[in-house]
Amino acid sequence: MQGDPLRAGVVVALWLLLGLFVLYPLACLLIRAFSDDGGFTLGPIVGALGNPTHLRALRNSLVLASLVGILGTAAGFLFAYAAERTDMSRNARRLIDFIILLPLISPPFTTSIGFVFSFGPRGLITHDLLGMQNAQVYGWASTTCAEALTYFPLAFLALRPLIAAIGGDLEEAGFSLGGSRWQVFRTITLPLTMPGLGNAFLLIFAASLADFATPLILAGNNLPVLPTDAYLQITGMFDLKGGAVLSLLLLVPAGLVFFAQRYLVERRSYVTITGKSGGRARGAGATAWLRWVLWAACAAVTLFILYLYALLAYASAVVAFGANATLTLDNYRVIFTEGVPAIKDTLIIALIGMPLGGLYGVIVGYLIARSRGFGRHMIEIVSMINYALPGTIVGIAYLIAFNDQPFALTGTATIIIACYIFRYSPTGIRTTVALLQQVDRSIEEASFSLGASSLRTFRSVTLPLILPAFFAGLGTVFIRAMTAISATIFLVSINWTLITVRILENMTEVALGPAAAFSVFVIVVVLGVTSLLNVALRRMTTLRVSSLGTAS
Amino acid sequence: MRLVAERASERARPQRNHFTRRAFVAAAMAAPFVSGKAGAAGSLNAYSIWPENYARPMMEAFEKASGIAVKFVRFSSGEALARVAAEKNNPQIDVLFGGPVETFTAGQSKGLFEAYKSPSFGDLPSRFKDANGQWTAIADDPLVFMTNSGFLKQHNLQPPGSWDDLLNPAYKDMLQMADARTSGTAVTRIFSILQVHDRNEDAAFAYMKKLRKNIQSYTKSGGGGTLPVGLGQAGGGIFFIVDALFTRQKGYDVQISFPKEGIGSAAECIALIKGAKNADAGKKLIDWATSPDMQSLLAPNKINFIPAHPKVATEPSLAEVLKGAKIIEIDEAWAGSNRQRIIERWIAEVLNAG
Repeated sequence: MQGDPLRAGVVVALWLLLGLFVLYPLACLLIRAFSDDGGFTLGPIVGALGNPTHLRALRNSLVLASLVGILGTAAGFLFAYAAERTDMSRNARRLIDFIILLPLISPPFTTSIGFVFSFGPRGLITHDLLGMQNAQVYGWASTTCAEALTYFPLAFLALRPLIAAIGGDLEEAGFSLGGSRWQVFRTITLPLTMPGLGNAFLLIFAASLADFATPLILAGNNLPVLPTDAYLQITGMFDLKGGAVLSLLLLVPAGLVFFAQRYLVERRSYVTITGKSGGRARGAGATAWLRWVLWAACAAVTLFILYLYALLAYASAVVAFGANATLTLDNYRVIFTEGVPAIKDTLIIALIGMPLGGLYGVIVGYLIARSRGFGRHMIEIVSMINYALPGTIVGIAYLIAFNDQPFALTGTATIIIACYIFRYSPTGIRTTVALLQQVDRSIEEASFSLGASSLRTFRSVTLPLILPAFFAGLGTVFIRAMTAISATIFLVSINWTLITVRILENMTEVALGPAAAFSVFVIVVVLGVTSLLNVALRRMTTLRVSSLGTAS
Repeated sequence: MRLVAERASERARPQRNHFTRRAFVAAAMAAPFVSGKAGAAGSLNAYSIWPENYARPMMEAFEKASGIAVKFVRFSSGEALARVAAEKNNPQIDVLFGGPVETFTAGQSKGLFEAYKSPSFGDLPSRFKDANGQWTAIADDPLVFMTNSGFLKQHNLQPPGSWDDLLNPAYKDMLQMADARTSGTAVTRIFSILQVHDRNEDAAFAYMKKLRKNIQSYTKSGGGGTLPVGLGQAGGGIFFIVDALFTRQKGYDVQISFPKEGIGSAAECIALIKGAKNADAGKKLIDWATSPDMQSLLAPNKINFIPAHPKVATEPSLAEVLKGAKIIEIDEAWAGSNRQRIIERWIAEVLNAG
């Protein structure tokens, strides 16, 4: 199977793409950071390490990402567990699916702006509701909470298919052997979700480490973090070199967490789909009181998210938030006249990037999970680079790399689409890997020994098993293409602009109304597309389950 | 279903058509991947540092007057400059439009601009142009103090009329103003404070350190604090007059005042990019923007910049706001050569002192 020509071709093509869109820009950036009048120099990085301000920012970044990772993974697990392991009503489950998506599909800044309105000295919650006079919104608490709220759906999306895939019959077996609920949870459910938990923590940790939008609004002056500092260094001080050096400091922790997670996951076998598995049982895992605790926690988070978005909808429908509450459709008129070019460009880019990104994620994930040796580790690491790097740096690296021949892509849609694919497919990749780690190789080996080619085996055996991962990849790339800003703000051009960039502009123009209207529009479009994807996935999964049923 | 039907109809058609159709689809798919419009005569590209709501009506009027199609994107001053610098070997734009003079002197030192003197060049006072024509002013934009009326009333305060008024403990954690790392507004503010202290840096920094205690947040963009002040989330701040008056026009109850010691002003400029692909069209935009043709359109569009061209009168209500204001001149040559050092000192001694 290693000698398969098709597979070899795919690996070569993949390396060419990774080389062009991951390694080459990074190399251009490093050359820019470490060259001084044509010579090599370590001066900048030594200077950065000796600067107490930068060390403080590094420490803050690590603490913040850890807090957000723990809080977000916990919340994601809570929601995933509640959705898959309690007899929650169909409607409640649907509501969770909907609510959980909101922070993920929102343009940047929406959560942060909601926090600013709610918790400041005249905040709707702190002042108007609780009567506090001197509440301050900027700092650790709000930044941590806002990021956890923004990123916990990543954990939910990564954990839910795993919890669903852990056969309820295993837990039942645990019960029938006399295990208590806690014992069953601790010895069966938790260990089986460990790869998923590690995976979720990694995704959130990396996302928080690279996030500059939330700290930009909420961190205030006493919580400098590296991505924001790097961004300010580049955009404000015109110091590309300094920004590149700061971002390199981020790579170290991102790499460490990555390897720790891999070590954790690879030490054990987590096979639960052996070809002999029965159906899955819902509602087997939780007692009545536990169920209520889970539901109450989910309800509290859900209500708060709903409130933030109600605020957004309100801001989009009034003349001036906080000053003139007259209802108006004017903000929507603005985005559907002046905003049309941005809307059109964004949709074209998102719709082209989505299928390419989904496919890329599944192929890379498959190669990582089903290959051995050095090449596999290299692919795994290289495919994560653009995700782990702060978007600002990826954007600047692309700008430097693709502005000149031989790859002059500046000003095209290709550069934006490539940025999205190679930056936002790790969700698809990691989900594919995590799912495949639960699928015993013997199923694929059976297919090979029956004479099927690797393509045929992939298509008829592996692909159906990792279909949820493919759809996760599709969804993530589309969502990010509609909502991301940190990297692509440098890649928009005269020819191709993006809605998110317009939103940021509107916010600095005191045009909160159009900014909110754009945000509502993005949310509606993304909700529509992701719902379609969910329906498609459900149809295809039902098909799969029924065909498996006849086979066994 | 649709796919199946398509496939069936394809099969019925002759093979040749099948391939033409495929080629067409391929071309349509590839369209977004190839570079955009080539630099045809009669079009130009620009980065605007002026917000879109100010720049759009100007660009539309220029298109109408000249027949030249303008494509522009808005970026904050730091980002626009970083992009122009990054694109130096393959310029994507022809003109950098709007933005405070300090951004332009920074770009000038990086060799990003092509000298060009428009017909209005000779009419402008020296503060409004680079002697060699690297950049030219299209408007003037003084700083102001903007405060929330409700906040003033609650604390029984008058609108601040002196720099020292902002040190009042009533403002503790309630002022928002721009971060000098990203914002030209902030740089202009810091040089104003230096100028008020006769460029005695230690005295100026002692003041800024005291002011730091009242800062709630340093915002990344110059106008970033206007909405919080409008909403009462912050009590006040220091902004460009164009942003402050826009906040008031939006319906927020804010007061605008000036310090008696004086406050600085930034010339808003325009420049031709070195290596511009549509240099002739770009020069026409510069001719138009530096002349009364554009600047007399500012007032009718409710854009509260002060025209730079001496032949355009300042709009009466704007003149009324400015009445009694003491606007001091910042020595751009001195500011330009000390900019980096002063900002670094500000970061070390003021920003990180919190």
